[in-house]
Amino acid sequence: MNGHDAMLEDVAVYALGALPREQARAVREHLASCAECAAEYRRLKPAVDAVAYSAEACPDAASGAVVPNPRLKTRIMDEVRRSVPTRLSNVGEMRAVRPIVWPAYAVAAACLAVALITTAFNISLNEELHQTEAQVAQLGTHAKMLTRQVAAQNTELVDLTSSDSQHYAVEDGEVVRHGNRLYIAMDSMGTPPRGKVYQAWIMRKGAAKMTPSVTFMPDRKGIAVIHVPTQASQVAEVAVSMEPEGGSKQPTSKPTFIVKLT
Amino acid sequence: MSRVRTRDAAAFESLYDAYHRLVYGIAFRIVGEAAVAEDVTQTVFLKLWSAPERFDGGNFGGWIARVARNQALDIVRRKSHSETELSEAMPDSDLLEERVFSEIDAAQVRRAIAQLPAEQREPIELGFFGGITHAEIARRTGTPLGTIKTRIRTGLGKLRSALEGTVAV
Repeated sequence: MNGHDAMLEDVAVYALGALPREQARAVREHLASCAECAAEYRRLKPAVDAVAYSAEACPDAASGAVVPNPRLKTRIMDEVRRSVPTRLSNVGEMRAVRPIVWPAYAVAAACLAVALITTAFNISLNEELHQTEAQVAQLGTHAKMLTRQVAAQNTELVDLTSSDSQHYAVEDGEVVRHGNRLYIAMDSMGTPPRGKVYQAWIMRKGAAKMTPSVTFMPDRKGIAVIHVPTQASQVAEVAVSMEPEGGSKQPTSKPTFIVKLT
Repeated sequence: MSRVRTRDAAAFESLYDAYHRLVYGIAFRIVGEAAVAEDVTQTVFLKLWSAPERFDGGNFGGWIARVARNQALDIVRRKSHSETELSEAMPDSDLLEERVFSEIDAAQVRRAIAQLPAEQREPIELGFFGGITHAEIARRTGTPLGTIKTRIRTGLGKLRSALEGTVAV
């Protein structure tokens, strides 16, 4: 495979939305100057859109497939209708039932002008109101998501600080076991070189070799708190090593630490 | 969409009726919880109502699907604590001209995807609904990275061909 064939494969992965940020930027720049790759992108992108359609919820609740709750529509349409501005046609209807006073054309014209200005002002105010209401609704939704996230983080915090948690000190941090949950909490990890990440490893009780677990990166201050997705009671040892991006099946470098869970 | 831009609630309701199953289905597939998928659906449609100018033409279904995917993946990203390597968000609009399936049917797509070999279907679904990178897909499936890229390209090409046989493009 030549270099350009490899780029065509990157274009397919880009169309799928599965490239990391830097590579995606490189492909995007390449597409702007390469007709062959741009054509390949246009060929494959509709297939990616089609993948999205495969998730469309089934309209028939009786089929047992996933269907949205009908109350969701009520909730959304209530928000929308509350924000719809007053229609100009309503002003016309109101004027139709008012007695017209002749011959005060000038007064009528002035009234009409005031009415139009007032209506325009109302529309403007309603527009602002609608935007505010939509923002409030979005904030409400966001708040619910944050609440769930905070609940998960509270669980993590309780696990890490609970008096009945077991702490195993390692260089620059500790491994914490609480019940059947397992965490790696590091406070001054070095940033891995470009193309490398940290990877957790677990040795299950009775096993002869390490099993690969999650990859992770510390933040700028070297802090990383990682939930290791496993049944902690079944784990005999935990280790961390530096591995190529995407992780490895077997450790390829000397572990940063290995700790036995007693 | 032009009527939605003029604050026409009835037009918006028609759009909701036509696309809410798509938005909710994508969200549910990604977040896996009905309540969260409803939150995502509500956010996507209220954003559409408050800022319809974000849709600047092209295939509306493809656009709102990308918005729904990005919104749902944002939640997964916030929960993930960087345990996995996540892909870049898909742009709401593409600068390139995008030909799209003009008549698309979820059942047809599901049949076409089901006909793909599992080794091609799995990385495509992991990439789209899992929001993870090709490298992470390779790690999870225990497959070399180059093989994953080839399978994604081949699978998408087959999907395109399969759907060309059933719908207008």
